[in-house]
Amino acid sequence: MSPVLIAVLILSAIGLVCALVLVLASKFMAVPVDEKFPAIRACLPGANCGACGYAGCDGYANALAAGEEEKTNKCIAGGQEVAKAVAETMGLAFEAVVEVNAFVHCRGDCLNTQKRTEFQGARSCAAAKLLFGSDGACHYGCIGYGDCASVCPENAINIINGIAHINDIRCMGCGACARTCPQGIIEVLPKEFEVAVSCSNHDRGPAVKKACAVGCIACTLCAKKCPAGAITMVNNLPEIDHDKCTGCGTCASVCPQKVILFGNKV
Amino acid sequence: MTKVLMIAFMMVFTQNYVLVQFLAICPFLGVSQKFDSCIGMSGAVIFVMTLASAVTWLIYTYVMVPLGLDYLSTIIFILVIAALVQFVEIFLKKFIKPLYNALGVYLPLITTNCAVLAVTLLNISEKYNLLESCVDGFSAGVGFGLALILFCGVRKALERAKPPKSWAGLPITLVAAALTSMTFMGFTGIADKLFG
Amino acid sequence: MKQKNSKWKILTNGIFKENPVLILLLGCCSVLAISVTVSGALGMGVAMTFVLVCSNVVISLLRKVIPDKIRIPCFIVVIATFVTLVQMVVQAFLPALYDALGIFLPLIVVNCIVLGRAEMFASKNGVLDSLLDGIGMGLGYTLVIVCIAVVRELIGSGTFYGIRIIPEGYQIGIITQTPGGFFMFGAAMALLIYCLGKKGRHFDPRIGCDGKCGNCGFNCENREDNIKLYENQAALEAAAAADEKEGSAV
Repeated sequence: MSPVLIAVLILSAIGLVCALVLVLASKFMAVPVDEKFPAIRACLPGANCGACGYAGCDGYANALAAGEEEKTNKCIAGGQEVAKAVAETMGLAFEAVVEVNAFVHCRGDCLNTQKRTEFQGARSCAAAKLLFGSDGACHYGCIGYGDCASVCPENAINIINGIAHINDIRCMGCGACARTCPQGIIEVLPKEFEVAVSCSNHDRGPAVKKACAVGCIACTLCAKKCPAGAITMVNNLPEIDHDKCTGCGTCASVCPQKVILFGNKV
Repeated sequence: MTKVLMIAFMMVFTQNYVLVQFLAICPFLGVSQKFDSCIGMSGAVIFVMTLASAVTWLIYTYVMVPLGLDYLSTIIFILVIAALVQFVEIFLKKFIKPLYNALGVYLPLITTNCAVLAVTLLNISEKYNLLESCVDGFSAGVGFGLALILFCGVRKALERAKPPKSWAGLPITLVAAALTSMTFMGFTGIADKLFG
Repeated sequence: MKQKNSKWKILTNGIFKENPVLILLLGCCSVLAISVTVSGALGMGVAMTFVLVCSNVVISLLRKVIPDKIRIPCFIVVIATFVTLVQMVVQAFLPALYDALGIFLPLIVVNCIVLGRAEMFASKNGVLDSLLDGIGMGLGYTLVIVCIAVVRELIGSGTFYGIRIIPEGYQIGIITQTPGGFFMFGAAMALLIYCLGKKGRHFDPRIGCDGKCGNCGFNCENREDNIKLYENQAALEAAAAADEKEGSAV
């Protein structure tokens, strides 16, 4: 047989064998897909942010399709439209999504506090925290190397003057930053809350003042003056009961350190 | 036995695919930003390289050489690699779901990874037997992974650097790669001493 | 006249605006490895251009026939055929070049430029356009690899195309080896960025910037502007969305 013929035959044979193997594999090793799953999954935005508590949009859609999950308003990134679509697809009543934003419980930037040591390691908050609990004068506050900014899918976080600032318009409330922050000082709060505490320092008095100019010194004035009795001091920090809070703003006006923020959050 | 060990050492250190032989640069620069993707990519590459080495060696020795078709090695090898990667993806998705979740995203990228085709062609040109080819493939993958993970750390440290304006971004990363590859040149002397 | 201009545009696109090596960052492996000597670089450039042109033309001719699901394997087979052809010709007629190119000659099959242009351009455009694109991209590639080779050969071995220019003993040997390759490529990119100047510094992916100033360590001069730009953008987007809602409600 001429070499050209052999070459063509063998090449075609190998190609055919490969194709056959792949076709058989895709038929016999196909992973069965639930019927409802594609319809529900199509409603979800596909951001895979994890705010719903599941591992990505596939996870949430799977849970809904399998009947393990009943709440249709868990997709925060998608908002009300997605909640409506999911509720329609599943034939359930529509429940509004609670609109949330992330909030950083710290206002200690370069102007208010200072660094204790010069950190020369990898530029990461988690790395800095491993070394004697961060390089700032305050052990509890924002370290400012941007671990939160790098995981934010919406680029809503900027490091300005050494601490994280969250852009309220861009933030979609997925909570990735809250999960990443090694200090645990980012919290996802409903947009309707009007009062927030901008400090996470559990020390009191002069120690706090030494660390940061705007730290909570646990003077307990806010707790005493609140007309609704909504504030209790927990671990030297005010804890606000939002069910009782009337939004009068007294706590913010009496705080000597301007820790409690009222109205437009920073 | 010594030869196998020498091949392994060579592939990981002195003939490292990325830092000495200039192969697989695109994924090296593209994937080395995040540590998780480095691990995923390395795992997938090791897996595919070992399998590809074995399969292509078998086809070469038992089909192509008897029929005098070794000039078709480029075409047949790349075809086999592409089909193999596709098959592995389907297989993993069905039978080893956790592995698929970890590596699955990177598998299609590996088809056009020059390192995989290179390792299969080099096995042939160096005339290794089946065991040596598999070890070669495995070690080349490990070498790639090593280079990738090392460089990920270098890049993290680079983030704090303040290079001159024109050099910011990719150029300074490449200079860092140059220095990293220089360190690997030091391994050449060790190979001679260890393996005579 | 318009036709002629657009054909010229396709041709020069590959040389300047979308240079495959420096702008699209494709095919770096071969550039780094083969740019040691000018003769090797020229040979590689010619081989690459040949494969590019031929594969672009054939794939463009077959674009309506190849089914979408298996297009990548089909492209690879076409490209591999031409690469094997080039391999055999070079091995027969230019053995010195064959040794210089080594493993990178068969590796043209998986070179990102060839496959990338086949996927992006040849499978969607006519034969003449694909031909011109192939020539343009090939020329752009050859230009870059030869330029880097000229510098590397001059500094690293003191020769130019084999002709000794700098006396022996004054060359920097490491330039011809791996670290030198990386360094020279980095230098070429830095030169390009410098020449392109200030325009396009905002959100410029070529310098590794993706606009995420949030935790960027580079402290570039555009940082403050970029952050403001981003925040303004967000406010504008929100306002636009609010207007749309009002408009649809009314």
